[in-house]
Amino acid sequence: MKKKKKMTLARRRAITGYLFIMPWLVGFCVYYIKSLFMTIQFSLSNVSVDPKSGYSAAFAGLRNFKYILLEDGKFNKILVTSLRDIVIDVPLVLTFALLMAMLLNQKFIGRTIFRAIFFIPVIMGCDAISDAIAQARQAAVGGISSTSAAITESSASTVNLDYYVALFKDIGLPSSIIDYVVGAVDRIAEVVDLAGVQIVIFIAALQSIPSSLYEVAKIEGATSYETFWKVTFPMVMPHIITCLVYTVVDAFASSEIVQYSYDMIFSSNSYDYGSAMALTSMVVVCLILFIVVAWIQKHTFYYN
Amino acid sequence: MAKEKTRVKKRWFHREKQLNRSAAGNGLLFFFMAFCGVFMALPLVILINNALKPLDEIFQYPQTIFVKNPTFENFKDLFVVMSDSWVPFSRYIFNTLIITGFGTVGHVVVASLAAYPLAKHKFPGKNILFSIVVLSMMFSYNVTQIPNYMIISYLGINNTYLALILPSWQFGMGLYLMKQFMEQIPDSLMESAKLDGASEFTIFWKIFMPNVKPAWLTLAVLQFQQMWGNTGSMFLRSEKLKPMQFALQQIAGGGAARAGVACAVAFVIALVPITFFLICQSQIIETMTSSGMKE
Repeated sequence: MKKKKKMTLARRRAITGYLFIMPWLVGFCVYYIKSLFMTIQFSLSNVSVDPKSGYSAAFAGLRNFKYILLEDGKFNKILVTSLRDIVIDVPLVLTFALLMAMLLNQKFIGRTIFRAIFFIPVIMGCDAISDAIAQARQAAVGGISSTSAAITESSASTVNLDYYVALFKDIGLPSSIIDYVVGAVDRIAEVVDLAGVQIVIFIAALQSIPSSLYEVAKIEGATSYETFWKVTFPMVMPHIITCLVYTVVDAFASSEIVQYSYDMIFSSNSYDYGSAMALTSMVVVCLILFIVVAWIQKHTFYYN
Repeated sequence: MAKEKTRVKKRWFHREKQLNRSAAGNGLLFFFMAFCGVFMALPLVILINNALKPLDEIFQYPQTIFVKNPTFENFKDLFVVMSDSWVPFSRYIFNTLIITGFGTVGHVVVASLAAYPLAKHKFPGKNILFSIVVLSMMFSYNVTQIPNYMIISYLGINNTYLALILPSWQFGMGLYLMKQFMEQIPDSLMESAKLDGASEFTIFWKIFMPNVKPAWLTLAVLQFQQMWGNTGSMFLRSEKLKPMQFALQQIAGGGAARAGVACAVAFVIALVPITFFLICQSQIIETMTSSGMKE
């Protein structure tokens, strides 16, 4: 009895906190943490296929990391390119998404339809749908010669740009024009495609700003420009971090470097190198992300 | 005096213009959005038109965007193929409903539950836990396929619905999203509920969840889209357990003879997530009026 009384309020609260997290944490540890550890284990060992137990992993120290960083001809280059792409994409995506969210948050005719339209790339990017579209296209254009293996490979990236290009080629535009336009629009299409979810997050964020703040701003005679910088932007700031993290995760998942480690694992069958590559690139991106988020967080205004 | 009056009037007019956007500005914005929108809507427009094209128009080269003689022949063909599948087609639909439904609802509930203490409580290990969540989001699913498969088969839930549903509950993204939104809710709201004698769960369920409705609806849309796109080909071997997407893809993969059916399939698969999104979006708009927060 006495022991129970000794439990402080903070301790009791901590226990409630853990109780709330428990359902999530158990699954997370069993599934995600374990696969993370297994990947770390693979990256540190020499993995080979074993007919009896499936695989055998002999500890090999940092050999794999040494190989990918010093000997592999492509890894460093691809890593740098991927990072550069992410760095270019992220501010563009965030600016575009915030702008679009603000426009879509206003009252005008056909708002719901417009919102849906801007979400289309997200839905189209999902595996089943892009596969189905690619299949339909292949059936119509490629005919019998197309194989299903080629289809799945071409739809591996979430940005279904090939589909657009092929579409215009089918309509009958000369290829030199297409190449030029694609080169110029390449980034824009990517940005717009990546921004779907962020637009939805920003709309949700804009919706949760108390309307009284806008009323006050209006009464005080603020222009819409001032209202944006003094009310909307500070209130949305925490969600800019959310979107930043989401964008980086999204861009990283579809980046070349992940594709390269994937190929390493499943095409070259070297699971050890592939794991080491995945880990290295992940750590690098995370480090950059944590630094940037910490910097933004310092300048973020929190409502309470 | 007359001069002064006009000046005042002019100024007032000028002011009004700044507060509310001019008609020209509105038109420009509308045009800008329409321009972006057309580009983004094009795949969907073509998708719908293709589904309505008769076979000769599908094979026409160069392809046209709009259908000339719309027909439901493709859908009829699809129904014919569907009706003589190995397992009754309703079974595939049932599987999809189970996987998508439980995956979406479970994820939203579990992630929100976990996000609440992360956002509003203080306890040891909180920051480390949160960092791991962010780290886990970086971990590409493609690269960890082999460990994932090994864990699933070690747990003995291989070839069951659970193999798809359970891991989906713990996606880091949902937790992250919910936590960011819950942090925005003022502490005073929580405190006043506590003073009125509400339990932690009541606070979570009756106060936090309604207030972050835009967030969890967004999350539901995302998760639905992800679960819907899941063909489950990695874990589900038994034909009876496979979702509709898998069956439809098999149907669509029948080569040139099935080109029309494949177009109809693409349309059907894309239609449901878009409808779900539209329903959720209209709900998000309603939240604005219902949240009565006053600081």
